[in-house]
Amino acid sequence: MLMRLAIVLAALPVALILHLESETIAPLVVVAALTAVSALMPGSAGPALLIGYAAVAMAFGDGHPLRLGVLLMIPALHLIHVTSALAAVVPVKTRIEVAALKAPARRFAIVQAISFLVAAFAAFVPSGPHIGFVELLGLGSLTVVIAVVALRI
Amino acid sequence: MSRADKIREAFAESHGAHWHPTDAYSRAVWLGAGLVVAGMFLHQVELVLFGVPLVLSVLLTHKPKGTPTVSVRPVPRGAGAGVVHTVAHVDGADAEIAVIKVPGGPRAVPAHSPDLPVKIRRDAWGPGVDLRLDHLFAGPDGMHVYGPIVGTEHVRTILPPVEHHPSGPLPPRPAGLVGIHRSPRAGDSTELRDIRAFQPGDRLKRIDWRVTTRTGTVHVRERHAEADAEIVLAIDTRTDVGADVADWSSPHYGATARPDGSLDRAVRRAASMAAGYLRQGDRVALMDLSRPQLNVRPGVGRRHLMRIRTQLVVCVQAAGWASRVALRKLPHGSVVVLLSPFLDDEIAELAVQTRKHGHLVLAINTLPLPLKPDRETPWGEVAAEMIAAEHRLRLRRMTQHGVAVTREC
Repeated sequence: MLMRLAIVLAALPVALILHLESETIAPLVVVAALTAVSALMPGSAGPALLIGYAAVAMAFGDGHPLRLGVLLMIPALHLIHVTSALAAVVPVKTRIEVAALKAPARRFAIVQAISFLVAAFAAFVPSGPHIGFVELLGLGSLTVVIAVVALRI
Repeated sequence: MSRADKIREAFAESHGAHWHPTDAYSRAVWLGAGLVVAGMFLHQVELVLFGVPLVLSVLLTHKPKGTPTVSVRPVPRGAGAGVVHTVAHVDGADAEIAVIKVPGGPRAVPAHSPDLPVKIRRDAWGPGVDLRLDHLFAGPDGMHVYGPIVGTEHVRTILPPVEHHPSGPLPPRPAGLVGIHRSPRAGDSTELRDIRAFQPGDRLKRIDWRVTTRTGTVHVRERHAEADAEIVLAIDTRTDVGADVADWSSPHYGATARPDGSLDRAVRRAASMAAGYLRQGDRVALMDLSRPQLNVRPGVGRRHLMRIRTQLVVCVQAAGWASRVALRKLPHGSVVVLLSPFLDDEIAELAVQTRKHGHLVLAINTLPLPLKPDRETPWGEVAAEMIAAEHRLRLRRMTQHGVAVTREC
């Protein structure tokens, strides 16, 4: 039950940010529904839909790409992913020892530190229509990442 | 390989005793890469930033290797009812989290935690499963899992408890040498049993000339046999009923016999009586009235008590309705202790017939009294009263035929 509660708590800032950035109540309803699905069935497609919906909604929203809402959303979405992953392997009424969560918490912190370094790097990258070199660099890096992952598979 | 085999194999690969990826792994790979790629092509840096943690979480983890196991220190088999403690040893190999289903609810612990204390409750006698530690191991961030694995069942059999009853009025004697109760059979010992009239077949050397000359008819001296009394504990396993009449037709789950039901009472009394008689050196046998193949021949000693208690569990496991009851191959002159709820005439008839054959019969009523009528039907009270009245009549009839009856167990 603790991990499912953590999913809901991680989804709260997501719902709040999307609600503040939107003029209608629709994003709040969608996030609430997807959060309920994720909490009840963490092994389903619910968490993926929740993360995907929030990411797309923020990306196509108005405002600076590195505004406060985006920066808050980065750890929140990652937290939804991690808590859903753990909740999917732990039965509902499981007593979870805090020591068992130490390694995932440490890894979460490392991933977030690197993510914010990337965000800081993105802040300094020039924007505009003539950024072919940066795109090429990014796609090249991604190809390497996918190749590494594919080899592991 | 046929299509069905492929589907079966794919299904088997998604769980069981090997490391396999979870939905979280697929989510991190496909959603993470998808967001990064989409962000690049659509020139949306937010999508890249949301996708980076997912991709990193895959890169920073690895597929675990090795075979994690959970083992349990053996639980003492002979321990009786109550609480027993043991420990589970978790060998996590490359795993990060171990989820183990222990009594009292599942627990998630670090895969390399010290031994896990396990408390086992044994509430009732009979066979059962002490412990089965189903478990699952999760790799970093729950992206790979090993299991779920169904644990090994640790079965046990708790023998019926023995309640030590106070000794009777007879003086204590050295146990194990000779029984405290003498066999009622005639034999060749030196102790006088009876003086009776001569019958065809009696030996001439047994004629008591003094009594013969005084009475004018030939009399012989009868001596006791060189044997202890044989106690036959006859248990009626056809019915297992409690005080609540409404529950009589419904099965009971969770224990071998209905707690404080007629069968539970019978088994407890039989075990206690066997212990009492054996402690006094008597020979004790066990008979199942409806399943003679489960009978235990007369014997003495502590090992025989263990044999009887074990066989009582076997009898209860095989319990069920039988159309006929019989006491076969009763030792001559034995004391028969009949443990039954006496809910039908056949068992009462058997007690009377056994008494008529010259055995001393003690009938112990195991029916829990007073009966509680079924409140859900208007005829419940009448039915319960009818059953109780028939039961009283049955016990009275047995008493009239010389059977010693105890009304309460």
